[in-house]
Amino acid sequence: MFGILVLFLLQFVNVKVLVGGLTGSAALWSLNLIDVFAYLESFSASRVFTKEAFFAVVAVSALYLIFGRAFCGWVCPMDFLYEMVDKAKKRGASAFEKVSAKIPPGTGYVIAAFLLFVSWLLGVPFFSNYVSHLTNFFRAVTGVVSLGLGLPVDRDVVIYSVSVILFLLLFEFFFPRLWCRALCPVGKVYGLFNKVSLLRLGFVEGRQCGECMLCDQTCYMKVKIAMHVDKSSLRDTNCIYCGRCAEGCETKGRLIKFKLWR
Amino acid sequence: MSVSGGLVLTSGLLVPDRSVLHAAKEEFEGPLPDIDIGGIIRPPGALPEKEFRARCVSCGACVNACHVMKYDAIAVSGLKDLTNFGTPYIKDMRDFPCALCMECPPLCPTGALKPLPKEKVSMGTALIDFSLCFGWNGDVCLSCSKACPLGATVFDFYNGEWGNQPYINEGCVGCGLCVKYCPIGGSAIKVVTKKKYDSLKGSYKAGFKSLLSMKSEERYNIVYGQNLPKIMERGRLVEREYR
Repeated sequence: MFGILVLFLLQFVNVKVLVGGLTGSAALWSLNLIDVFAYLESFSASRVFTKEAFFAVVAVSALYLIFGRAFCGWVCPMDFLYEMVDKAKKRGASAFEKVSAKIPPGTGYVIAAFLLFVSWLLGVPFFSNYVSHLTNFFRAVTGVVSLGLGLPVDRDVVIYSVSVILFLLLFEFFFPRLWCRALCPVGKVYGLFNKVSLLRLGFVEGRQCGECMLCDQTCYMKVKIAMHVDKSSLRDTNCIYCGRCAEGCETKGRLIKFKLWR
Repeated sequence: MSVSGGLVLTSGLLVPDRSVLHAAKEEFEGPLPDIDIGGIIRPPGALPEKEFRARCVSCGACVNACHVMKYDAIAVSGLKDLTNFGTPYIKDMRDFPCALCMECPPLCPTGALKPLPKEKVSMGTALIDFSLCFGWNGDVCLSCSKACPLGATVFDFYNGEWGNQPYINEGCVGCGLCVKYCPIGGSAIKVVTKKKYDSLKGSYKAGFKSLLSMKSEERYNIVYGQNLPKIMERGRLVEREYR
């Protein structure tokens, strides 16, 4: 899962594989890519259709029409950082976790719509510029590298971006996966691709489910998997294809499988 | 440009301040100290400010492209200017000017930067500080015109007894290469935005014309009385590695 992040880090040693960040980038110095939510924000802020941005978002959409919300589980740097936070802290439900469990996953759509409205109002892609974890992660990395090499960089940008990331990690410590599950607008937009994507969670027909509910317990996105085991596949907007359920299942992956195409 | 010396504690990392690395540069006040830049200087090919701001999602593609090209001219704007926070700008033309390689506009995924031929870029306009320039004070220098990627279309020369007096005309795109290669300590050239240039064009041109039509004795007094002592005080830039 580090693969894509490593490709992004190569740009600091002048390798032109992926240049930019996960909000927007250029692959192989020619193919522009832009995050779908960032495109929506840019579009609503500028209120004008831009050809370049449209082609960039079509390229990304095509990728996630195949892989659904796999972005969250396999590309997003926050997933990796959150995993480390989860490992560092002790198991056991706290009062905060009970609160966070009550927040419905639909909240993210309200937040996304609100942010698009704010962008339209201000004429500035608000979330992508100021708050976004993707922007701030890559801005922090770029900033630290630039500071190290003595290149021009505003120090307050680096401090701001590092603090945003640290705040999100602290937030994760108290409210595990609340950001991914219910709040993050970027993930929510990719979640919509889950409804039509080629990749999806599937169940092997004819194999008996023991109803041990291990899959539901291991799923940190709180997808209700066991309920759907009688259907052939599961299209939940919160599934990020991390594969924990397949590993955690009693049958050790013989019941729950990723399905691509068929 | 603010001057701060020593080591600066930044988010837990001890980083040597740039002013220590290039101590010779930072001692000097910049050229034309009464004129401010007049906003923010965008990467080449940027749309008009408002449209640019609406489109840019601060992904950092242009910043990193500039680093890959080894020019490092584009930086990310800080918290001083909250409305432009996180957007790319040319920070330090004295060390890291834009080389007009025009690699960043095609890489912009939002279309905020549009691919252009480099003659049509409008990042800003360079202004020469006549009181600091060698060419306006009895010498022949030509460093700025040699550094200019557009050369003859941008520079006018008024050769005379007071030197090969260079003048940068409106064809200037504001890349800032001349700012870096000016041998005066702290540079004698400043790049201002096009908008700012339009507002002070009149007074700047009048100053330049009055210098040309000045009587010899008057000019002598200005050059030897005021300008040359100032220039000698600044001395020359320390030779720096070209990145």
